[in-house]
Amino acid sequence: MPTEAEAQHANVRNKGIFNNMTGFSTLITVTVLLLAWLAGFASRLFAVIRFESIIHEFDPWFNYRSTAYMVQHGFYNFLNWFDERAWYPLGRIVGGTVYPGLMITSGTIHWILHTLNIPVHIRDICVFLAPVFSGLTAIATYLLTSELWSRGAGLFAACFIAIIPGYSSRSVAGSYDNEGIAIFALQFTYYLWLKSIKSGSVFWSICTALSYFYMVSAWGGYVFIINLIPLHVFVLLIMGRFSQRLFVSYTVFYIIGLLLSMQIPFVGFQPIRTSEHMAASGVFALLMAIGALKYLHSLNPKRQWKQLLILGGLVAAGTVFLAVVLLTYMGVIAPWSGRFYSLWDTGYAKIHIPIIASVSEHQPTTWSSFFFDLHVLVCTFPVGLWYCIKNVNDERVFVALYAISAVYFAGVMVRLMLTLTPVVCVLAGIAFSILLDLVLKEDEMQIAPVETEDSKNLYDKAGKLKKRTHEPAPVDSGLGMNVRSGTLIAFMILLMLFSVHCTWATSNAYSSPSIVLASYGNDGSRKILDDFREAYGWLSQNTAEDARIMSWWDYGYQIAGMGNRTTLVDNNTWNNSHIALVGKAMASNESAAYDIMTMLDVDYVLVIFGGAIGYSGDDINKFIWMVRIAEGEHPKDIHEADYFTERGEYRIDSEASKTMLNCLMYKLSYYRYDSGGSPAGYDRTRGSLPGNRGFQLTYLEEAYTTEHWLVRIYRVKKPDEFNRPRLPLSKRKIVTSNNLSKKTSKRRKGLIKNKPTLVKGKKVTKLE
Amino acid sequence: MKVSLILGIIACFSLAYAEQETLVLVDNLNIRETHSQFFKSLQDRGYSLTFKLADDANLVLSKYGEYLYKNLIVFSPAVVEFGGQLDTEVITKFIDDGGNVLMAGNSAAGDVYREIASECGFEMDEESAAVIDHFNYDALDEGDHTRIVVSPKNLIDAPTIVGNQNTQPLLFEGTGLILDKDNSLVMPILTADSTAYSYNPKSVVKEYPHAVGKKTVLIAALQARNNARIVFSGSLFFFSDEAFNSPVAKVHGDKVKASLSGNKALAIHLSEWAFGERGQLRVRRVHHHRQGEKESSNTYTITDTVVYRIEIEELRNGKWQPFEANDVQLEFVRIDPFIRTTLKNKANGVYEAVFKVPDVWGVYQFKVDYDRIGYTRLYHSTQVSVRPLQHTQYERFIPSAYPYYVSAFSMMIGVFLFSFVFLYYKEENPKSKSE
Repeated sequence: MPTEAEAQHANVRNKGIFNNMTGFSTLITVTVLLLAWLAGFASRLFAVIRFESIIHEFDPWFNYRSTAYMVQHGFYNFLNWFDERAWYPLGRIVGGTVYPGLMITSGTIHWILHTLNIPVHIRDICVFLAPVFSGLTAIATYLLTSELWSRGAGLFAACFIAIIPGYSSRSVAGSYDNEGIAIFALQFTYYLWLKSIKSGSVFWSICTALSYFYMVSAWGGYVFIINLIPLHVFVLLIMGRFSQRLFVSYTVFYIIGLLLSMQIPFVGFQPIRTSEHMAASGVFALLMAIGALKYLHSLNPKRQWKQLLILGGLVAAGTVFLAVVLLTYMGVIAPWSGRFYSLWDTGYAKIHIPIIASVSEHQPTTWSSFFFDLHVLVCTFPVGLWYCIKNVNDERVFVALYAISAVYFAGVMVRLMLTLTPVVCVLAGIAFSILLDLVLKEDEMQIAPVETEDSKNLYDKAGKLKKRTHEPAPVDSGLGMNVRSGTLIAFMILLMLFSVHCTWATSNAYSSPSIVLASYGNDGSRKILDDFREAYGWLSQNTAEDARIMSWWDYGYQIAGMGNRTTLVDNNTWNNSHIALVGKAMASNESAAYDIMTMLDVDYVLVIFGGAIGYSGDDINKFIWMVRIAEGEHPKDIHEADYFTERGEYRIDSEASKTMLNCLMYKLSYYRYDSGGSPAGYDRTRGSLPGNRGFQLTYLEEAYTTEHWLVRIYRVKKPDEFNRPRLPLSKRKIVTSNNLSKKTSKRRKGLIKNKPTLVKGKKVTKLE
Repeated sequence: MKVSLILGIIACFSLAYAEQETLVLVDNLNIRETHSQFFKSLQDRGYSLTFKLADDANLVLSKYGEYLYKNLIVFSPAVVEFGGQLDTEVITKFIDDGGNVLMAGNSAAGDVYREIASECGFEMDEESAAVIDHFNYDALDEGDHTRIVVSPKNLIDAPTIVGNQNTQPLLFEGTGLILDKDNSLVMPILTADSTAYSYNPKSVVKEYPHAVGKKTVLIAALQARNNARIVFSGSLFFFSDEAFNSPVAKVHGDKVKASLSGNKALAIHLSEWAFGERGQLRVRRVHHHRQGEKESSNTYTITDTVVYRIEIEELRNGKWQPFEANDVQLEFVRIDPFIRTTLKNKANGVYEAVFKVPDVWGVYQFKVDYDRIGYTRLYHSTQVSVRPLQHTQYERFIPSAYPYYVSAFSMMIGVFLFSFVFLYYKEENPKSKSE
């Protein structure tokens, strides 16, 4: 058992204090893990304490809405749920377009609690799900790390992952998103995979497949697993580490995992029909071929067979590769999707799929955000990686591949920082554990002489490293007391700074619900801007039940979740052309937009305008993406260049282009706008005075504007309201003199030309 | 004065209870006599007419937000400014709120007429301009060739508006109207002949006339989107007893002669249409359901067969009666119409369509949009959602997949048999599977 060695370490450390060493180390482990859970949970509660128990951001609102639906209507109705309120008039099959793991998890918790007669509202379960799962992630990380290295390293890793900002950014209370549970599933699957590859048992492989199934049901990031594990197998094959254990664990995992993953409606036949999944089946075929060759080899172990084996392996690999290429060419397998391409070519999305590039999460990561999210661990995890590569075995190959690929992906997209964070914690945990082993080890250097080969390697190499990284110390004589305590104190301070930074980052950067804004006055007083909920509340109270709201897709889920109204597009950006249509409406002038809006039966238009309070995430700042997306689908009508000035600047003041000043988004943002300080109507976000002011709207009328002008809602007039087609003055052929009324408030008598006056004594002649 | 006030108040009270309240604005009360036949026909049909001078200082259309009148007749070409609360804005507001207006002017009509006409999408020619036709004037013309004879063939082809039996020539004397081409709601009820033009008969033609030939519209109508109706005649004379009773004799051309003009019949028809006695449609009931079921449903599954029924009624002789037509269409729309079909006319004004829902899910609308000249616009839309198959509704066994079923079941049987072999077969030197 691998833990035996670690247990021995622990024993050594605590020798002389307690007799029951195993029990004591278990107690420590459990206590530390519990504390990690608690710390992780507590550090994610800033948002709840500062604001309230509320769902954050955009996507979580959909998750919450569908969870509530599932709890109310049952699982099968949820699976068959056709949501006619989203993507009007296309509708959305929610059951088939969602990873249901999150909803099922909270639904199950809700069901268990209610069975136990604990009446908790489903919203609270949703709000606190991610913090609770962060504790489970810590435990899974502990298991993974102790599988890789030692229990001590596992405890370090567990503590790191519990509070690290890179992970808590997606799992604060209220951030009810797939990632919150998926990281746990990811770590746990990897742990089980290592377990199964170590033991080669079918049992652990099936466990891996089950855990993989949970991951597939929870997050689209499962593709990472189904590519990383085959990569691991492939690299092991290249390294000549083929074994029966590998064969059993991978084949069992692959087949069962494949069948299970296809049970998720959203995934469906993708695992056998798309290029993203082909690496797994290719490796499976290769493994089969090599297994067969090995078997043949074992029947007749001669020298020539060895060459045949290598040759056969190469031929098999080539055949598999060619087969995949051929199938892709024939159209049986779908080629790489655009999202996948954008991982290799960072400029790809900008050119071909503006809708992906428009999301800030999909931008390449900056160096500072690596440090911000991982702090000191970003510097220490290469040390752990170095040790793993130095003392390589089957599992450590895996973690090395994991680290390298995750670092690459995290560099491509800010969002994928999330997949890097766990492995950084694991490797940093290993690094710190080795360090502490060195500095805290008293004189018992000769322990663990007869152990597995792995731990012996570990010991030797650790000694070598001592020379390199830390203060020079002879291998066997031990470090001096001062050096030891100095290093210890230095690293403890480092860890303390780390935890301070984690708390600070989680509290300041990741704990704002983003539907409630807070501003701070000069005296530190806090002012809550609750405009979003004000507007959505207005919608739900004052509009018809089936009113259709047009807005940019960012706000779709919130309108559906809080306003309970039909939306045209939302954050599930599955239909680019529909989004482009909305973008076109926003980018066109009023009458062209009106045609689109009547076609789509729009009743209200909602825009976010931050000019009055200096909120930079508003629609005018996003507008250029709307134009780009619209141009992609309607290149004849919308041209991006029209919205820039001649010098190519994006501005809204009087120098802006005519198209810009007259498009719907501009008009809806600045209609009647007179706030924002002096001069009145000053846009504080853009820092300039709007170029087109005092205009009137023909086809829309203002319905509601929130307190700080943040959300503006307009009603689209129905065609009936243009009752009489009036002939405007400019089109009239016959000039009429504009007579001023002679009526006064007292004298209300009109005027008739040639009015006959009655003259007494005269006969009235025929009139007319 | 006091008496008239009291009378007015009493009148107001009595008016409030009657159905078809009509305000008639005139230049002078003499018009009541000169146009008595027209007014009498209205009164015979149950309209209560209130005659007021157009400059009356107490003119009001509405009180406390309620309209006192349903219809307005303006027979006062000489008005320069309406009295009381009345002005162009109030009248257009009256139209927007659903009131019907019948206006008739003549060549002396002032700018108030032009304003109101322009608000409705057509124009009246300049002051003192009259329609002149040197080829189609009446024998009784006084020399200006402005009392013209118009053939009933120039009437719009809409029996609901002008009636079926218009064979008598029509007499017209007044100014011409010009229609806005872009305006799809205005209708030229009566146009002049190709030899007519509109100009001041007393002056030499110096500029090109505003209205020439067939483009000179004599009577125009507008049915607003709220189904308010406006009939605008360039000639007040058209509605007069004199025009109703006089014989017609064209001097030139085919020399049409008739002992009596067709003005009366047309005027009465026009007023019937303008005040909503004809051409009113309404939807009585809409029902849609899956074929074979009775209950209506808001949700259909793709490729369902749907039965859609709509019951349409028409106002005839003051009663709602089944409407008969064979050109009512139904559209099943999701942005674009996926299905467009003519509804079958069943008995009693029930129209039915049976069709298969397209194999595309989404939110659809049943739309019936029946827009015919002379009828009020009939528009009805019902929103339903068309959902994909549920997980239990797919076919369980597909014929083309039988090889897979066979392989799956044979595998199961094989494993079952193999387990027996594995368990009970005794080998001399058994080789363990896992080494």
